[in-house]
Amino acid sequence: MNRRSFLLRSGGLGLAGSLARLPLARTARADETEDYRALVCVYLSGGMDNWDTVIPYDATAYAEYERHRRSFLSAYTTPRDPSTLVPFAAGDSFGSRQFALPSEMAGLVQLYAEGKAAIVGNVGPLLEPVTRASYADQTARLPSRLFSHNDQASTWQAGGPEGTTSGWGGRFMDALSSRNGAAEFGAITTGDNDLFVTGRSTVPYQVSVDGASRILALSAMEEDFGSEAPAWLEVLRQHFRPEPGAGRSLLEQDVRSLARRSFDANALYDRAQRGVPAFQTLFPPSDAGAQLQAVARAIVARSSLSAGRQVFVIGLGGFDTHSAQAQTLPMDQAGLAGGIVAFQRAMEELGLDQQVTLFTASEFGRTLAVNGDGTDHGWGGHQFVVGSAVRGGQVYGELPEATLGHALDAGGGRLIPSLSVEQYAAPLGRWFGLSPSELELALPGLANFPSPLPSFV
Amino acid sequence: MRRASLVVWVLALGLDGCSARGTGSVPAPELPELDGVDDAFGSEAQTVRFLSQATFGARPEDAEGLTGRSASRWFLRELEAPATLLLPRVRAARAAALRAEEEDEELEFFIDSTTDAFWKGVLRGEDQLRQRMAWALSQIFVVSNGGGELLTDVPEAVAHFEDLLIQGALGNYRDLLESVTYAPAMAYYLTYLGNQKADPSTGRQPDENYAREILQLFSIGVVELDAGGRPVVRAGRSETYRNEDVTGLAKVFTGLDLDFAGEEDDASVGAIWTRPLVVEAEAHSLEEKRFLGTVIPADTLARDSIRIAIDAIAAHPNVGPFIGRQLIQRFVTSAPMPAYVERVARAFDDGRFVLPNGSPVGTGRRGDLTATLAAVLFDVEARRVPSSAEPSFGKLREPVLRLSAFFRAFEVGEVEPIGFDLLLDSSPVGVLNQHPYRAKSVFNFYRPGYVAPGTTSGAAGLTAPELQLVNASSVPGYANTMFEVVFREGREEGGSEEEEEDDEEPDFDRSVAARAFLPRLEALQDLSAEDLIRTIDLRLTYGQMSDSMRSALRAFLNASGDDLEPVDQVRFALWMTVTSPDFIVQR
Repeated sequence: MNRRSFLLRSGGLGLAGSLARLPLARTARADETEDYRALVCVYLSGGMDNWDTVIPYDATAYAEYERHRRSFLSAYTTPRDPSTLVPFAAGDSFGSRQFALPSEMAGLVQLYAEGKAAIVGNVGPLLEPVTRASYADQTARLPSRLFSHNDQASTWQAGGPEGTTSGWGGRFMDALSSRNGAAEFGAITTGDNDLFVTGRSTVPYQVSVDGASRILALSAMEEDFGSEAPAWLEVLRQHFRPEPGAGRSLLEQDVRSLARRSFDANALYDRAQRGVPAFQTLFPPSDAGAQLQAVARAIVARSSLSAGRQVFVIGLGGFDTHSAQAQTLPMDQAGLAGGIVAFQRAMEELGLDQQVTLFTASEFGRTLAVNGDGTDHGWGGHQFVVGSAVRGGQVYGELPEATLGHALDAGGGRLIPSLSVEQYAAPLGRWFGLSPSELELALPGLANFPSPLPSFV
Repeated sequence: MRRASLVVWVLALGLDGCSARGTGSVPAPELPELDGVDDAFGSEAQTVRFLSQATFGARPEDAEGLTGRSASRWFLRELEAPATLLLPRVRAARAAALRAEEEDEELEFFIDSTTDAFWKGVLRGEDQLRQRMAWALSQIFVVSNGGGELLTDVPEAVAHFEDLLIQGALGNYRDLLESVTYAPAMAYYLTYLGNQKADPSTGRQPDENYAREILQLFSIGVVELDAGGRPVVRAGRSETYRNEDVTGLAKVFTGLDLDFAGEEDDASVGAIWTRPLVVEAEAHSLEEKRFLGTVIPADTLARDSIRIAIDAIAAHPNVGPFIGRQLIQRFVTSAPMPAYVERVARAFDDGRFVLPNGSPVGTGRRGDLTATLAAVLFDVEARRVPSSAEPSFGKLREPVLRLSAFFRAFEVGEVEPIGFDLLLDSSPVGVLNQHPYRAKSVFNFYRPGYVAPGTTSGAAGLTAPELQLVNASSVPGYANTMFEVVFREGREEGGSEEEEEDDEEPDFDRSVAARAFLPRLEALQDLSAEDLIRTIDLRLTYGQMSDSMRSALRAFLNASGDDLEPVDQVRFALWMTVTSPDFIVQR
């Protein structure tokens, strides 16, 4: 046998085109009777400013808002004033109060008007209902480490500060994993926030925006040799697909098990993705667009992945606007809204818009008071829930006034949440298919809050 | 396109492309031989193991030159080694950019200069202990130039910050905390640059960002710790601070701004970001400032307020175990025993440590980082080779350290990152999932308290920070990157089409880039399979390669002799080793 020279070397790895094509996946369009549901969490890292998202629109309230935010309100490229803000009908319970979203989020107002998006106001981590008085005199039981990024992110996703080991998305999957033929793809993350989709038994799969990652040289050689793979190639394959569990230390065992799990899951995922047709819907080139497109592609391949229930989480950064809020937040909001609208349209294209519900989360809102050109860590914030199963076109919960000193002000315009994360999560879980007892197990603090649950989905 | 101005770059740095190799690599002066109690360098394997913990990796000449010598004396000699700094290289890069004709390309080049200087420092610096400690500290005092904002555009800012850590790495914690506070890069990153006192007329409040993170991340953490670094459990609150402490402390960090010194042109913008912040007196809050039980009286000026605040924070009993535990994680083991943390915290508190040969180190002042680092590295937990009865000992090498260990073990020649695109942005999950000084946030690449879900270490409740970077995308991403590293060849031997296009750049001298980051493998390809395995084992896994890994390498080498060139056999064996748990986990 001749000695082989390796074409792979020096950047010759662009082999994707030569990979064998599997037959096209079955038609992408959903079967009406298909039992499939997915939850998609859009996690906004840093704490998105509730005050700069749902903005007072009636003249009196806007004037008050303007007074608090004056120091940087003039710095937005597109002014955040009534001439450009996009109003929406908040509903009778708000009386004469009116609200709007920034023009960068006009797409969400459109979905809201179509009844496919709802706003859930003033949600945040709580252990029990809290009032301004019980907060001030310190008699309220409070989540630990309030206002700290990592701890409140963990509390939002998992119900406790950093170090908590399972999130409610993952625990939802724990309850419903029997609906899935294979466990690997019930919970998927496109980046960080894997805590949210980690259950007591559910382990998330990480997919990049480009799809499954492969060990390129190994794949290329296996492709090259085909059925005549030499023994040394088999040794190499075994090396990269090791028997799990062995190792002299726990960390060695973990590295080996993670390598094995990654190898098998990537191979499966890669196969499932072959032949998935492109969407008619164009996703915007934003970070949100790319990650939500990766989610949409995973959903297309759901049956190849043996998934009847799926929980996804994507992560977007840049919302910790201590500084230069007027310069950075609009762009991030535009990317977010554009991505969400495209995702909803893609689900409509697939006929899955009734079966997929997307919602936002963020560790906290922000202060109404400014620190110059930005804002500081708050507590409660406003969230969006999107999908055709959503009872949209309505605001659920409260949208406190943009003033200081009111009954939900913890100081500086940090909002004391009037809905707990559990109350926000429970309707999603119920829609996803959890029974009341399964919900209690997945959301241990739920019983501390009054029913009924908000009925946004 | 990036490579177009390499000539200018290289000339500006005074490198001619052949001077670096070999200089200064022989230990000098000779260290005394072992005296029996100081056996960290007792064998070549032990030497490599120690240097894997304490430096950016052992070179073959280190294993030969240091084995049988005193590690204590090595430590003392490292304290004297002159610091290798980044700013000189970054300044030279800006000068080259300003001189350049094709401005855009030069600027693009110049923006990579912190990365270039980092890799040159860690691979070529003779102050390895200092460099490695600075790298550890950079994961506690975090700034990032990955945001594409000002810290990216003005590389001097982060270079200056890195240099602060390099210069302060073996000094005093309290002093470092103060110089970090006055660093322009930190002020920008944590948004207290130009931070102003409250204005009751508008409701404006001081920015709280730095006040919160200096407590949570840089000093004491969120919960009271015992001496062993365990959270104190008792009835009532055991959190170290409340939001009132943060808003009180936020007043301290008002009134700091850049020192323009009258300079505002293109040539001096970099310099502005390398000078300690100055006080704008009228912007500083003169209100009373209360935090952590400290009261700074009304009308106290900025510098005094900051001094008092830093003193108070640095004196908190949490600091020793909080910082000590994280340093142990960075150098030795991810889930240290409380007794180990306690010994390191004691060295921190006392400011002293006695090396195995009896030499004391440290000034005796609380917060001495030399004493703390010595306590981390010379502790019995770090020095004894772990048995299989200690399955929780060890740490994952983080991706940057895996790469540096390989580069140093196989004596890469030129270290021009500009010649190796992967290094210019190794942040993507498909590359290394880590880039020097480019964490995603002030919370670093991974959290010290991270417990990996769905793992055996997690089930045992063990913290494993670096596992936070390991997932189904990063595992193949790392393998693909190491394939490119291990199989890298000189460009003279033929290049891809893409590289051919680069030939069209008329002013591009490819000679340096072509040799950049080439491992020296010639001597290895003539070895027998057993000798090759032994060599790889010594250099990468300090003689601790598992039997199963040896068997796999043996099987590969024996089966591939007819199909592969010897040098390719060597490369595959290296690729397998650097992607094995044996190498990835350092024990």
